[in-house]
Amino acid sequence: MAMDKSSPASLQVLTAGALPTCSAACPVHTDTREYVQRISRGDYEGALDVLLEVNPFPSVCGRICHHPCESQCRRTAIDQAVSLRMLKRFVVENTREYRIARRRKAVVKSDKTAAVIGAGPSGLTAAMDLALRGYRVRVYEKDTRLGGMLAHAIPRYRLPAEALAEDIEDILATGIEVHSGCCVGVDISFEELKKENDAILIAVGLSESHSLPIPGTGSKGVFLGVTFLWDVANGLYPQLGERVLVIGGGNVAIDIARAAKRLGPSKKVSMACLENREEMPAWKWEIEEGEEEGIEILNSWGPKAIVEKDGAVAGVALRRCSSVFDDQHRFSPVYDESVTTRIEVDSVIFAIGQKANLDFLTHTPVAVSGGRLLCDRESMATSERGVFACGEVVSGPGSAIQAVATGHEAAKVVSHYLETGEILKLPHRKIQSIGELPAATAALARRFERIGVDLADPAERIKDFSPIEPGYSEEEALSESRRCLACATGAHLEFPNHCAGCLTCVRICPFGVAQVRRMAFMPARQCQTCGLCAAECPAFAIDVWRFPTSAVKKALRAIVSGLDLEKVARPFLVSFCCLNGTTGRKYLREQPGEEIRDSGVLRVIVPCVGRLSMVDLLRPFELGADRVAVISCPEDGCYYPRVEEWLGRRIKRTRKYLDQIGVGADKLQLFKMDGGGDESWPRIWEEFRAVNMETPVTN
Amino acid sequence: MIVADPKPFLQVKGYVEDFEKVLVVGCGTCTTVCLSGGEAEVQILASGLRIAFGKDGRPKTILEDCVQRQCDVEFVLPILSRVESEGIDAVVSLACGVGVNFLADRLGKTPIFPGLDTTFYGAGMQPGLWAEMCAGCGSCIIACTGGICPVARCSKHLLNGPCGGSEKGRCEVDPANIECVWQLIYDRLKRLGRLDDLRNLLPAKDWSTAADGGVRRTIREQLYDIK
Ligand SMILES: Cc1cc2nc3c(=O)[nH]c(=O)nc-3n(C[C@H](O)[C@H](O)[C@H](O)COP(=O)(O)OP(=O)(O)OC[C@H]3O[C@@H](n4cnc5c(N)ncnc54)[C@H](O)[C@@H]3O)c2cc1C
Ligand code: SF4
Ligand code: SF4
Repeated sequence: MAMDKSSPASLQVLTAGALPTCSAACPVHTDTREYVQRISRGDYEGALDVLLEVNPFPSVCGRICHHPCESQCRRTAIDQAVSLRMLKRFVVENTREYRIARRRKAVVKSDKTAAVIGAGPSGLTAAMDLALRGYRVRVYEKDTRLGGMLAHAIPRYRLPAEALAEDIEDILATGIEVHSGCCVGVDISFEELKKENDAILIAVGLSESHSLPIPGTGSKGVFLGVTFLWDVANGLYPQLGERVLVIGGGNVAIDIARAAKRLGPSKKVSMACLENREEMPAWKWEIEEGEEEGIEILNSWGPKAIVEKDGAVAGVALRRCSSVFDDQHRFSPVYDESVTTRIEVDSVIFAIGQKANLDFLTHTPVAVSGGRLLCDRESMATSERGVFACGEVVSGPGSAIQAVATGHEAAKVVSHYLETGEILKLPHRKIQSIGELPAATAALARRFERIGVDLADPAERIKDFSPIEPGYSEEEALSESRRCLACATGAHLEFPNHCAGCLTCVRICPFGVAQVRRMAFMPARQCQTCGLCAAECPAFAIDVWRFPTSAVKKALRAIVSGLDLEKVARPFLVSFCCLNGTTGRKYLREQPGEEIRDSGVLRVIVPCVGRLSMVDLLRPFELGADRVAVISCPEDGCYYPRVEEWLGRRIKRTRKYLDQIGVGADKLQLFKMDGGGDESWPRIWEEFRAVNMETPVTN
Repeated sequence: MIVADPKPFLQVKGYVEDFEKVLVVGCGTCTTVCLSGGEAEVQILASGLRIAFGKDGRPKTILEDCVQRQCDVEFVLPILSRVESEGIDAVVSLACGVGVNFLADRLGKTPIFPGLDTTFYGAGMQPGLWAEMCAGCGSCIIACTGGICPVARCSKHLLNGPCGGSEKGRCEVDPANIECVWQLIYDRLKRLGRLDDLRNLLPAKDWSTAADGGVRRTIREQLYDIK
């Protein structure tokens, strides 16, 4: 049975436009809650639709996104964040055919053309958006491969080429025209581009590494980070010595160190950085993974000179860095020259930051100052009319998804310019989030451990550039998706004029959320969507966004009305099953009429059977069912506290009533799964249908 | 609040045996709160009737409705016109007796049946438990008894108690479930420092303000009889 898809737009009404923290934190505001809920219902294709709505790089993000969504996930107040990046990866890995089938070529509707310089995530996103808006778009990329840093910097063990290719092919299918291996400023001049196009978008990223003004940087064995990674990504493995020192403490430095290790597992690879351990800009998990692979980190050291011998690197002289930032948190390193050391190495790789190469703009009217492109942040316009910029060349180093976000914005300003000849200042929209889960609510919630995956063994993974992280299995993905609290999709007073202020909701809510202030009130930011209040409300005034109370009724009627009851195998069993019990999609798909007819089993999947009201339990009998099974989670398996007790009481009352109305109490039974639903449900159905029951005599 | 309990299902079913189109009407006030006559109970009863008559091979049309209060004209008008326009043969009310009476007075030739047994004026003692607190006697005496009513809460309605059946604070009529109200009154007056009040025997009560004095009405001049 398919469940109602709650419309995200209407959901935002609940929280006055505020987004769940996950979506608010995402630079493109992916509707995280919705895609995760779709996964949980087995609708992986629908989940992909949600992802692609705002992010043309879901395969890349599923692998390497720094996932601010997870960092802000409200579930951290209970146990750990939902593993959102892994869920995203699961979606793209399980919808490949659908993704290809849903591709559409954009229709050119305008005679205006735009040129995009640079095929990194920002440039490609903007190009795709502009194509979808009906413009002719040409992308110029100096490299032979598309994707920018994703293609030629991020090592393959984190981002396999196939994952990137999935996203790129999707984008290209819109029909953008790509000139790869075409460096603007070398193969074609900027002026020429200007002549041929109505607007230009500069998205050249930061393609060069900084070096340091210290002695010895010209020695043999000194490499620049981005060049090094580019060579590695292209299989042109640089000749490194046995002892390698990477200078830098950010994520790029870690990537370089880990890539260097993979060029020769026996190599001794170290990193030296100014920051102490806590200050290191690299992600904590990246540092740990690097250390597992045998990378040594030398904190609070700054290079003073590269020691050379016969023109080649022999070592690096280091001095103690006593502090990196001033009191205003600006980068301003202070050295203690009295503490120095020297380490013997054969190769040195600089990873102390990237800069843009803007040579192609020399002798053009586009203003560059101190090596930086001048660009107005709000309008994304450069000093030259019709020339705009986006991505890291403007924002400085960041993440792929941030680059994507600027690409979307750039497409807006460029298309506005193409339509009107005017510059659009993007409104500064402050995204409101629904805020943290209140501690009092979190304390009452049940804990369910995040599903982790085991990375490949460090000794194995340093042998080559094979991906080190396995994806989720379907069962793992379904389980993990159910950890999402579906924040702010819970109970609300659907019929305020029905509310009698009876306090039942207040008394039943296991999270202490429901209140009565003349009328019932369930704060959307706290409600955990268990639906108990809606099930027990004597006025049926409450509804739950996540699974409307009318859903069971509608679903049953729709299915049963298409059935020829005469032909259904008897006894005809309606089984209410807990969504959280499924380990695969088998039972989540819509059930064809014949299947119901032949098996005599109609299943209704409910996100927690605790939300079934007594009327829901009676309805199947009214529609012609002989028996009703309610299959709940295994003992203590329910996501919500106290559901077992309330459901138990409701079933007991309904059974008593079934006796009174002449159906017989035994026609309704509560079962608990043992193990996954996919195995235990069919067993329960078979057993329950096989029981011989006499219809009690009506008195 | 008025408290009422559902009648046995078969009794209600029996009332409507001979009708084809039956409307079950709930009340959104007291009986919703005491979980016997709100929207949910309407649907439960209606569903039960459909199933039961269906099993008997005599399917009937059972319709559902619920109004805010069955004891005010404006709220029941839609029910009256529904009965008229939809050709409803009988009505089952899940209001207290007041609602049933009120509708019966206005339903012309259409029969109405009570779906509930109206029991008392009471309060929610704890979730799922209501207890009698007032008997509606029309002249309140509880100023003398610390705010606790012996008329409603003494099994024998004694005005000067307790009787000899009070034991360890419980009433002999049903010691497990009934507290002796005179024990409660004693304890309360003691707490208020007014134990001496017990020396003033309460005079015999004039029951003419209660049900014994004939059918009661109340008029509020400020609203009454406006032309
Ligand atoms: C080592 C490394 C690891 C990273 N890891 C992560 C990570 O794990 N997660 C994450 O989210 N982000 C990561 N990033 C950041 C991410 O890659 C960038 O944020 C993103 O690629 C920036 O996109 P962009 O479009 O602005 O520029 P880029 O990706 O740099 O793309 C710019 C493109 O322009 C091309 N170009 C430049 N000049 C010209 C010219 N004159 N003519 C034609 N083409 C030109 C370049 O070849 C390049 O393809 C990492 C970056 C690096 C360097
Ligand atoms: S629990 Fe779900 S909806 Fe809430 S913040 Fe986490 S991922 Fe988003
Ligand atoms: S849905 Fe559950 S958590 Fe939300 S208010 Fe109702 S009972 Fe409380």
